Amino acid sequence: MRYNRKIISRKLKIKMLFICIMYFALCVLPFDTVSFAEERAGVKTVAVINGDEVMGMLKQPSGLFFDEIKKRLYVADSGNNRLVSFDSEFKYLAELSNENIAIPVSLVRDKQGRFFILDRGKADIVFIDLEKKIVKSFPLTGVPIGKEQFLPGRIAIDKADRLYIIDKLNKRLLVVEQTGVFVKEITVKDKSFWGFTDVRVNDKGEIYAIDTLGGVVYVFDDKGVVISKFGSREDKKGTFRFPVSLALDKNGLIYVADQHAGKIFVFDKKGNFQYTIAKPGVKTGELSSPSYIFIDKDGKLYIIDANRVQVFKEERE
Amino acid sequence: MKAAKHIIPILIVGLIISFGIGKGISYAKVKKDTSDLCMECHSKMRDLATKARVHQPVKDGRCTECHNPHASKQKGLLAYIDSALCYNCHDQKKGFTGVIVHKPIAEGNCLVCHDAHSSNNRSLLKKTGAEGCFSCHSKETVIAKKNVHPEVKKGNCTGCHNPHASDRDGLLTKDKKSLCAGCHPEKGEAFTKAHMGYKVAGTDCLGCHSPHSSERKGLMKASLHKPFAENKCTSCHPAGSTGIVKSGINLCLGCHKVSMTGFNKISSHLIPGRADSPCDSCHNPHASDEKHLLKDKEARVCYGCHNDTKEYVAKSDHKHPKLGACSDCHVSHGSNNQYFLVKGNDTCSQEACHATQGKFTHPVGEKIIDPRSKTPMDCSTCHNPMGSPENSILRFEKDRELCIQCHQM
Repeated sequence: MRYNRKIISRKLKIKMLFICIMYFALCVLPFDTVSFAEERAGVKTVAVINGDEVMGMLKQPSGLFFDEIKKRLYVADSGNNRLVSFDSEFKYLAELSNENIAIPVSLVRDKQGRFFILDRGKADIVFIDLEKKIVKSFPLTGVPIGKEQFLPGRIAIDKADRLYIIDKLNKRLLVVEQTGVFVKEITVKDKSFWGFTDVRVNDKGEIYAIDTLGGVVYVFDDKGVVISKFGSREDKKGTFRFPVSLALDKNGLIYVADQHAGKIFVFDKKGNFQYTIAKPGVKTGELSSPSYIFIDKDGKLYIIDANRVQVFKEERE
Repeated sequence: MKAAKHIIPILIVGLIISFGIGKGISYAKVKKDTSDLCMECHSKMRDLATKARVHQPVKDGRCTECHNPHASKQKGLLAYIDSALCYNCHDQKKGFTGVIVHKPIAEGNCLVCHDAHSSNNRSLLKKTGAEGCFSCHSKETVIAKKNVHPEVKKGNCTGCHNPHASDRDGLLTKDKKSLCAGCHPEKGEAFTKAHMGYKVAGTDCLGCHSPHSSERKGLMKASLHKPFAENKCTSCHPAGSTGIVKSGINLCLGCHKVSMTGFNKISSHLIPGRADSPCDSCHNPHASDEKHLLKDKEARVCYGCHNDTKEYVAKSDHKHPKLGACSDCHVSHGSNNQYFLVKGNDTCSQEACHATQGKFTHPVGEKIIDPRSKTPMDCSTCHNPMGSPENSILRFEKDRELCIQCHQM
């Protein structure tokens, strides 16, 4: 009996000790020192593209696309009203400018090598077939009329070459075939929803879209039903300030470029925060104003940061 | 376990001490009642007690409730700093917290409005009615115009505003709609006639009316949208209905077609609205006291979405002087310049601002390349116009850190 009492008393003491330590820890530790966002080490800068004497300097690049088939990088160099291409070593190849393109800001390329470009100057989508030398407006057919006029935002493409076009003013995503024929529309019923800013589709057909002002990433199944959402814009660590673009890697991680935070936030499939990449700044490897992110099949991160494109690669064990 | 034997009592004592902090300080027994003892030297304080309202601790002679008779780091030998002292008795959670907190409260300066000892005014206010408010809020701006709201004229600011904290903009005591309807029932012939037969009940009165004073009849705001001023309501609304004749932005573009070109830029501000048209996100379609029929003061309109920028600016120790008119530097609809800047890299050197900068200081421009980013240098390479912890809104400490970013020693 005496022995048991001693055990109980010991347990009680340990419990009390634990409670006291916790109490003091909470009282003494300022919350600022608690780190929610951990910057990932081991991120290598593969390349910094900002131009040279041959191609000229990039001026407000706004969107880019890496063509996995041809292994070429295409950048919408909006300030110079052109598309520029680079090889897999990021050496400048060529530029494309055309009187039918005013301000290219977003682009995708299908498996047949045809481009679909968001032209902000014309508030239209432009179709380019280089082989057939066609540059023309890309008309959509069968799209249900929205309350507002159609104003295209950024574009994504899935493995079946279907296009996902943000219809900015109608706060919806339009899914269309390469022919421009309407397939479906995707929207969000939340009152707090402001509208989509960027969109990506994974190989399963799941759609990821970001609402900048709401600070929320929405995940839809291939039918367009919301399966999860995460994120907020608050003044505390681990949350967004001004998330503007997102990308997906082959492991299912979700990368969000936060323009005002100067960082890339990384989340797992369930939306749990994992870590951040880069810190604010203008040095190589730092981000001053990341406005667009793209990830290729090799896992390279292409980030448009002010007037340059930085290419990162995470070194995984 | 031996160590635990000693630690536990120490921790318990520590706990008792830490709980004790904030529960008042007791002093050694003194030879007289505390207040009598204090008054022996501070005789003038006796006069304070003759005023109409006396703070309870003063009335009870509990001077040590607020003052430390021996020593303090605070002015007036106060036991705690600023409002922390007041919150010992006045529960901060009851009325002093909210989404919007009145600046003096947020800064812990209760004594800006209240007298700590006594006053002839209610709630120990230093000044009566609106006079207290006008100490900070310019009287000229609030009531200078021809027609003044009767409650404002009476000085009854607290009729509509909570002087401490509120969850509503403008520290309003109720939401805008029910606040006005409390005195102005939204029915009756005169009300209907004044609103041209449109059913405006439940809408935002402050969209068109100024709550304080106005040069216009009916406290109508200063600038009126042309069709509204000409009573051509049917230009936008079906007769007798608050609906709109065309959907969304097309309603506005019917007259303001040229505005669309302003949005078709690399950076475009055309985003979906939450009201009838995206334009309503920033503009009031009827009346406004602001230029371009903005629905509120410019900075407030911008910060409505860019709340993170608002917080960043507020937290910055050093701010750009006269920061407030965002449109001094940024284009509100769209721009082909980065960050919607009005003149790109030359925005800072506009005539009205820093016209001579860059001509005799550190060289900047297209040919001066920042070795870190390999991009041209401009003012924002070294300065952060949105605010900084450093002097002159510099991005780094000016004596060394800033220079060695590029000039390696």
